[in-house]
Amino acid sequence: MRAGHAAAAALVLAAALLAAPPAWLPAQPPARPVSEQAVHDIAAQLRCVVCQNLSVADSPSEMANQMRAIVRERLQAGESPAEVVQYFVDRYGEWILLSPRRRGFNWLVWLGPVVAVAAGLAIVAVLLWRWTRRARREAASPAAPSVDATMSERIRREMEAEP
Amino acid sequence: MIPEVGGGAAFAALALAVWGAVAAAVGGRTGRVALVESAQHAALAVFVLVTACFALLTYAFLAFDFSVRYVATNTNLGTPFYYRITGVWGALEGSIILWTWMLALFTLLVILRHRESARELYPWVLTVMLAVIGFFLLVMTVAAPPFERLTPAPANGRGLNPLLEDTGMITHPVALYLGFTGLTVPFAFALAALIAGRVGDAWITMTRRWTIVAWYFLSLGLLIGGWWSYHVLGWGGYWAWDPVENAAFMPWLTATAFLHSVMIQERRRMLKLWNIALVILTFGLTLFGTFLTRSGVIASVHAFTQGTIGILFLSFLAVVLLTALGLLAWRWDALRAQGELDSIVSRESAFLLNNVLLVAATFTVFFGTVFPLLSEAARGVKVSVGAPFFNQVNVPLFLSLVFLMGVGPLIAWRRASPDNLRRNFVLPVAAGVLAAAAFFTLGVRSALALLALALTVFVAGTIAVDVVRATRARLRMGERVLPALGGLLLRHNRRYGGFVVHLGILIITLGVTGSHAWSVQTETTLRRGEAAELAGYRVRFDGLTATEESNHFKVAGTFTVSNGRVVGVLRPAKKFYPQEQSPIAYVDYRLGLKEDVYLVLGDFARDGSQATVKVQVNRLVSWIWIGGLVLTLGTLLAILPERKKAA
Repeated sequence: MRAGHAAAAALVLAAALLAAPPAWLPAQPPARPVSEQAVHDIAAQLRCVVCQNLSVADSPSEMANQMRAIVRERLQAGESPAEVVQYFVDRYGEWILLSPRRRGFNWLVWLGPVVAVAAGLAIVAVLLWRWTRRARREAASPAAPSVDATMSERIRREMEAEP
Repeated sequence: MIPEVGGGAAFAALALAVWGAVAAAVGGRTGRVALVESAQHAALAVFVLVTACFALLTYAFLAFDFSVRYVATNTNLGTPFYYRITGVWGALEGSIILWTWMLALFTLLVILRHRESARELYPWVLTVMLAVIGFFLLVMTVAAPPFERLTPAPANGRGLNPLLEDTGMITHPVALYLGFTGLTVPFAFALAALIAGRVGDAWITMTRRWTIVAWYFLSLGLLIGGWWSYHVLGWGGYWAWDPVENAAFMPWLTATAFLHSVMIQERRRMLKLWNIALVILTFGLTLFGTFLTRSGVIASVHAFTQGTIGILFLSFLAVVLLTALGLLAWRWDALRAQGELDSIVSRESAFLLNNVLLVAATFTVFFGTVFPLLSEAARGVKVSVGAPFFNQVNVPLFLSLVFLMGVGPLIAWRRASPDNLRRNFVLPVAAGVLAAAAFFTLGVRSALALLALALTVFVAGTIAVDVVRATRARLRMGERVLPALGGLLLRHNRRYGGFVVHLGILIITLGVTGSHAWSVQTETTLRRGEAAELAGYRVRFDGLTATEESNHFKVAGTFTVSNGRVVGVLRPAKKFYPQEQSPIAYVDYRLGLKEDVYLVLGDFARDGSQATVKVQVNRLVSWIWIGGLVLTLGTLLAILPERKKAA
């Protein structure tokens, strides 16, 4: 057990030393003021590369911390948000974006849900139309419908029901 | 010796489950009661054997038997007693045992409850339940043997994943698995109905409570998962649209759709086919979720071929779906029925729309979750589909569902007259519009938040209108207010249980809306004695402390939080585990109805002179957990035995 704790202590030390420098060096005088909100908005689109499935904005990890710092620096240097995002895409690939860009193959994932909703609504609309046909017909001719009309309607329905 | 007994028990259970499934099927086909009884005994024996496996594995954990690979990977000498027990289901092998055990338990309960009542369906229900158990026992014996030996046995184990050292680890998986396995019961009844050719309403009436209970445990599991994520993972959120979360969410969505669409069948004898399809889909999604999360396929398309588990699950899923489709085709004529509606403006329509939206949301979650695999396979390019995508696509669907939640329960069956619409909806709509206006004047500018709030108030309004009207009717009969209200809830417990569940969902919606729209955060480095300010709070850094725990080393910061008066002293920490490369964040927080103060410790100077801290003020998050409690009450009310209506 001793050995385990010594190892743990060594780890703490190593982690502390590694983590130490960037966080409290006096910050460079910013080239231009950058709001934390702007940093957050960009970080929220980026995937933290060491995490399960968290954005750079949310992740408490050291890596995400450094990535947020890069976002801040680049914004301060005058890059546009799109350029900052592109910088990460160039380095890590499209995978870094938590929301796939709307282009090419990726349109599939964006249009899939729209198609699903549209198809579902269309099916329900058709079903409702068919199921209410009799009610509509009765409403249209409130007087007692003639036997012939009822009969022909029934025949028609039964014929439709056959495949 | 003990591991070999455990392994043997699993094999024996597998053999008995297969026998039971076959015996029940032959018994059902030929009407030989003795065979069905034999299947019952087999089910009981399976339960005993799986319980033994579970107990033996637990014993191996408690006794630090590192000669068992699973024990050596998931515990070490420093693991506290409590987490040695929860560690049993902390990884794949043990969670398969837990899953199987619950399936066996549900099978016993089904036997006890439906032995007499489900006459023609009963043997087939047994067959399906035992076949599913058989599959999981196959996984347990072939693909993920929990009792596999490790030679030479190490002196110490690797240790449990530190993130799992939390009380949520006992409740979260247990609730979730109760939900998943519970959904096997309606699935078994649906298949039995198809096989026996009794596709009427009997199976739906018999499984109503089972489905509600399973749905409830699934909801509870998801909520506890959210709570675990919120207070363990340290990112200040409760839902990340992670594939693992999505895997559990999809069956929840389809089960919710099912709970609503069965009402149309009970009432109007329509949608027989659709209801059976929904149950099959729901069960298929629980299998798919397990495949997704346990096969490694999420990491990469190519990962899942490495183990047998992914292939097993995928094959079983294929067998289940093909069998189900075959049965549906076989019973096509009995299932097909021409629907008949009086008007498009009716409760039936509202429920159909509800189903469209829920299934579309399921598809969205499904497609988004598997799209990275699709992209990798088709283009060779890895993409991510994460929270921004899912939020953007699903929020409109969910808000529409909230709207329907207000319409559905009050609009008339068959045909809603203008008078019915006026009586039920004028006041709630007005309340919703007024609420939106009020929040706008109070300074809420986010259109999404305004819409969500207006809809929430509208739905709450519809519930209020209904309760007030029904109570008034009872007051006119001479009852007093409280007895009238209580009588209402108990006499019509299904309806009002549903309302209370809706209320719970509304409260959760409020919490989700609030936390998205109004939470704020900041991250700063503080010297000792310095304070950060956020949203009226002062967070002062008072120093660091380091402590040795049984299996890790913990560095905690001390922060005094005040807003005029002292709110409390918070101690967020980092925990250093020897088996983990990077430290684990340990957040500290003060929960409140209006907002939570939530601190995450970042870097720190070793001498304790300064530390980086992330301060979050998360708005209304507590209402999500409160909503969970309300949901619990509603479910309890809904499953109470229905009272005979007295005159």
